[in-house]
Order: sequence, then structure tokens, then C-alpha cells
Amino acid sequence: MTSDRPRILQILPAATVFVLLFLIPLGYYLVISFWRLKSYRLTPDFTLANYSEVVHEYLAALIFTVLISLLTAAITTLLALMIAYMARFKMGKYGSLVLLVVLVTLFGGYLVKIYAWKTILGSQGILNAGLIQFGIVDEPVPWLLYSPVSVVITLVHFLLPFAVLPIYSSMREIGETPMAAARDLGAGSVRVFFDIVLPQSRPGIFAAFALSFLLAAGDYVTPRLVGGPETFMVGNFIESQFINRLNAPLGSALSFSTMITCGVIVLLVNWLLGRLLRPR
Amino acid sequence: MTPTTSSVVFWRAFGCLAIFFMLSPLVLVVVFSFGTNELATLPIGTLTFRWYSELFANTNFATALRNSLVVTLSVGLASTVTGVLAALAFARWRPAAANGAIMLLSLPVMMPPLVLAMALATSFSASKFQLGLHTVIPSHIVFTQPLVILILYAQLSSFNFAILDSARDLGASPWRAFRTVLLPLIGPTIIGAALIAMAVSLDDFVITFFTIGNGMTLPTLVWGMLRKGLDPSVNALGALILVATIGSSMLALGLTRYRG
Repeated sequence: MTSDRPRILQILPAATVFVLLFLIPLGYYLVISFWRLKSYRLTPDFTLANYSEVVHEYLAALIFTVLISLLTAAITTLLALMIAYMARFKMGKYGSLVLLVVLVTLFGGYLVKIYAWKTILGSQGILNAGLIQFGIVDEPVPWLLYSPVSVVITLVHFLLPFAVLPIYSSMREIGETPMAAARDLGAGSVRVFFDIVLPQSRPGIFAAFALSFLLAAGDYVTPRLVGGPETFMVGNFIESQFINRLNAPLGSALSFSTMITCGVIVLLVNWLLGRLLRPR
Repeated sequence: MTPTTSSVVFWRAFGCLAIFFMLSPLVLVVVFSFGTNELATLPIGTLTFRWYSELFANTNFATALRNSLVVTLSVGLASTVTGVLAALAFARWRPAAANGAIMLLSLPVMMPPLVLAMALATSFSASKFQLGLHTVIPSHIVFTQPLVILILYAQLSSFNFAILDSARDLGASPWRAFRTVLLPLIGPTIIGAALIAMAVSLDDFVITFFTIGNGMTLPTLVWGMLRKGLDPSVNALGALILVATIGSSMLALGLTRYRG
């Protein structure tokens, strides 16, 4: 029996944590983006000066962040789509093994993963050593580390498990019957993929893209550790407003400008996916 | 229609590459933690436990380990209590309302950790809270409780509550009905959810870094070692964190049927 009593007392602890440690702090953080700094003290105000500074000083960084995050999210989603498709339809009982690897790498080792790529991609790292060993290059490839390339590789590796899971759970809902029916009517596996699998995986594909795009755009540790002196993302500027310049209002304006920009892009991508992934 | 051989070969090769890509960086860190080579390049040299003994001799390690244990255990316990209570209530709601509420409570997981960390840090400093473990723990609960709710709700949404109601009709108190009927069924899932919450809390760097003040946990110690330059014992520390977080999530997956 489903009773309609909302059971407020049971929800109260979780709701209190949510309100006190999420809604109120986030609301306060939003409010101070309209405040100003007077002799290093936060002063209540209603000014758009911080947002205008974002547009004038940090627009290039914001665009660069959006582009690098779009590239990262596109690669991650494509790889995740292939991995989920393989695990669901192509590997039989080994499919759950792949899923286990994905789940196991999901929850642990954020810093360790970034650090591992730093050692793999370095000029003395394993990848360069291997490339030289096999005679593909004569000397270490310098742009493998401390470049946008290393940032994208590292982010894709870290985000892949987050992207595989939603796509896989969408694909789990696809029954064998429509696929078998399509095959019986003469559709090849490519046709089945584009007309049944892709349209029905759309919610998962969107979730995967949105999550990897947002997390990539908000990351500052990866560009800091493997990005080198040239690859600054908005996250690095947000962090430095807080740590070095103690300018929380500007950091806040940067945070919300980035989130709003990313939110609009995510909505656009959702609209685009709706157009693209229609069964013909 | 049987799949063509070339497609079978393609998917096998892709599967091996994908698993290699996902696992090799993690495996390398563990391998290097046992090698004499200081530069993290191949060959790793001979087998050694030197980096582990250097790590254990580091006084910061003892402090960070103690702090991480305090935070992880408190967060695991607290977020399991708040999460289980909420999931039990949501399981009795209409699915649309329950999914909406769960979505709302999951917002802290979906937003970039840096933004949540900044919001928490500025709010703590505005309300004149001293930063320390007591500010880290509640900050972790807000993004670990949604995981507990999601995992438990996934099982409870297919649970037949008529069993529980019969126990109540037969005169069992609410607590007795919960303890003797529901708990044995959902106990393993609760433990699994708690382990996932603990793995995520133990691994968290960004939110901990901004809410701990001058203290340190294992991930912030990794950060400190990375910033100081070459210290091969960071591999040993990284390997320990991997074993703890991956170990507990594997155990959790064995206990729950939750698969994403």
C-alpha cells in the first residue's frame, strides 16, 4: 500500500543537510557575486561590476574552457557509447566484466588518476619511451604533457566511467524483441543501431554528455597538474580568486557565468540530439 | 543473421583496448610503488618496500590517515542514516514525486565540486566558523547522502510493502516490523551504500581542500607531495588510496545489485 503521508520526519535529516550545506551556501555564494570588495572586506551592494569584469577579463578563458570541455565531452561520450554498446550487445557474459571495470574505476583515485597520467605522458614517461623504442619517433614528443592534449586525455580517462553508466542503463531497457523483429525484416546491424539502439539510448547519451561536459568545465586540478603554464581553464581562475587574491565576489561571478554558459550549451546539445537521434 | 567475423574481431580488440585504457594508469601507480626506480619510468628496477617504509615514517602520513579515518567513518555513518531514512520515505511516495525529490537532493553531486567547495568555504568564513574536520564532515554528507538514497531507492522501488503492512496488521510495532521484516532484506544494500559513501568521502580532494583549513587528509597529503616535487613515496600513498576506495566499492558491488 502506498500511503500519501509524506513522512516528513524521515526526510527531515537529509533535507536539513541539503538546505544548510547546499541551498544556503550556494544562495550566499550567488548573492556575493553582486557585492564588492572594499579594502579587502566583503561589502553588500548590488553591482554588476564583477560580471562586467568577467566579460572583459576572462572571456577568452571562458571560451577556451568551453571548447576544451566540448571536445572532452564529445570524445568521452563517443567512447562511452562504444563501450556501453559492446558491454550490452557484443560481449555476452563478458559484458558484465567490462561493466565491473567501469564501476570499480568510478569511485576511487581522482588525484591518483591525474598524477598517473603526468608520469605516463612526461618526456621520460612510458608513452614516449615506448614510441622511441618502436622507432616511431626519435626523441620525446614534447606536447604530450603540459598541453591541452594531456588535459583532454586525462579528463577523458577520469570521466569515462561517469559516461558509460547512464548510456548502459538506457541500453538495458531496449528489449530483444524489437531488435529481433527489425533483423527479421531485413535490417542490418548498422540499421538496427541507428534506428533502434541510438534513439532509445538518447536519455543516457544526453546524461553522459552533460555530466562529462559540466565536470570537465569545472575542473581545475587537471589543468593545474598536467596542463602546464599555458593551459588555464576557468576553474584555475576561480580557485585563484579565492586562494591568492581573496576576491570572492569575482570568483563567484566567474563560477555562475561559467555554469550559466555551460547550462545553455547543455540545453542546445539536448535540442540537437533530439533532432539527430530520431528514428528515420 | 550471424555477426560477421570482422565485427567480432573489431569488438574484441576494442574491448581489450578499452579495459587497458581504463585500468593501466591505476596499475602503473601500484607497480611503481614497489619499484626501486625513483623516476616512475620503465624498467621499474627491483622489488622494494622502501617507498612504503618512507611513507609510514612520514609524520604527516599518520596525521592524514587519522583525519581521513575520522572523516570517512563519520560521513559513512551519518550519510547512511540520513540517506536510508529518506529512501524509506521516498519508497512510499508516488514514483514521479520520489524521483523529483531524489533529483533535487542529488544536485550537489551533479555540480562541479569546485563551485560547491567555494560556496561552502565562503559561507563558513562568513558565519565565522573555524575550519576543521567538523566543517569537512557535514560538507561531505551533502554529496554522499544522495548516493545512499539512489542505491537504496533502486532496490526499494520494486519492494512489496504489503509484507511490511501485514506485519503491522499482525501487531508488530513499526520498529519491530522494520527490524524483523525489512532490515534482513535491505541490510546488504545498506552496507553496500555505506561503503560507496565512504569510498567517495575518502577519495574527495576538492571539497576537503577548501573546507579543512590547515589540516590534512590522505588526498590533500597527495596534493602536498605532488606540489613539492619528486617524492616516489607518493606512489605508495596513491596505491593505498586506490586499494581502499576500489576495495570498498568492489565489496559494495558484491553486496548490492545496484549497477549504475
